[in-house]
Amino acid sequence: MQRDTITVERFYTGEARGLDMKLVAGANGLKRIIREPTVNRPGLALAGFTRYFANKRLQVIGNAEAYFLKTLTPAEREERYATLFSFKIPAAVFSRNLKPDKVFLRVAERAGVPVFVTSLITMKFINLATLALEMFFAPRASEIGSMVDILGVGVIIRGESGIGKSESVLALIERGYSLVSDDITRVTLLDGREIIGAGAEITRNHMEVRGIGIINVASMFGVRSIRAQKRVDLVVTLKAWSDVPDVERLGMEQEYVKILGMDVPHIVIPVRPGRDLARLIEVAAFQIKLKTSGQNPAKELNDRLIARMTGSMQI
Amino acid sequence: MSGVKKIDGKKVMKGEFIVQNKLGVHARPAALFVKLANRFSCAIMVSKDDEEVNGKSIMGLMMLAAGPGSKLVVHCEGDDCQQALTEISALIKRKFDEE
Repeated sequence: MQRDTITVERFYTGEARGLDMKLVAGANGLKRIIREPTVNRPGLALAGFTRYFANKRLQVIGNAEAYFLKTLTPAEREERYATLFSFKIPAAVFSRNLKPDKVFLRVAERAGVPVFVTSLITMKFINLATLALEMFFAPRASEIGSMVDILGVGVIIRGESGIGKSESVLALIERGYSLVSDDITRVTLLDGREIIGAGAEITRNHMEVRGIGIINVASMFGVRSIRAQKRVDLVVTLKAWSDVPDVERLGMEQEYVKILGMDVPHIVIPVRPGRDLARLIEVAAFQIKLKTSGQNPAKELNDRLIARMTGSMQI
Repeated sequence: MSGVKKIDGKKVMKGEFIVQNKLGVHARPAALFVKLANRFSCAIMVSKDDEEVNGKSIMGLMMLAAGPGSKLVVHCEGDDCQQALTEISALIKRKFDEE
């Protein structure tokens, strides 16, 4: 699991367009680090109450703060600004295109804190910025394995090299499903509840096929054959037949594998010449889809059987 | 359990067992049976009443619907039939590790 430091610069370059942010002062502070994935409104701090001031967060100044500041005398304002910037805040954002006054900009510049202005209304900015920050702060890792979206079921296909992963993926694309990533899947834990898989940006839409080389899946199979990212619902491990001592025969109980601390359903498919792997992976994905909708065919069949054998059901 | 016989040059062995576990041969016992049976190269047939199924097939075993108290005849044919029948016998007598 890796977690990068999120500088104001990274946030700004990544989100400036979506959040309609413009830098108006404090460019020398762009390397400051945002330490918490949320924002704060510094109303109380500006009013002079600085205990519990959430200074590690992005500070958002909206109408409430702006109108409050207007009630103060220039001397008071300057003093409050000095207090605000005596804390190590990562950056300040004015919403609704509010204009920061000259004193604010001067104090910010001197403290080396970037100041931004956005056209968004405060609520909207706070919502979008929080979502964006969550994404920046989400735990990430790389999983070895290709990923395919099979009818809405995100499947990571793992297995030793040469076992037939690429062939399976190609066959699945042929069947009309979409490639998410080849060989290495970047996984992100979103909101602490679901795993999102994606291809590395640089290799996106491409695949390496042994003997042929690198192919562009999107231009070869069309735009529907690719997908930028998808929730991970299933991990399929392809294993040589001889390496699987206990082949699953019933599928009554679900096995899981941990990705970023989350349990993801996992199945092992033994590989032997003549087995249509793509078809098996496809069926495994359908089975997961049924199971998550509350069906468990093995269990249902078994319940019927037990009822028959113990005579508690008439047929 | 009968002793090993030779029919047409093949080793053959047969055993009769009563299913003793409370729920009968449902999915889990059937899976255990089949996993065990697949470790041997001999042919393993299981019959109950007039129905005979392959002992290496889960669906077959479940189809027998062998409830508690029912009688199973296990028929093994092949070189390792004695070992196979011994282990299958033990599994059934252990009540498939249930209860």
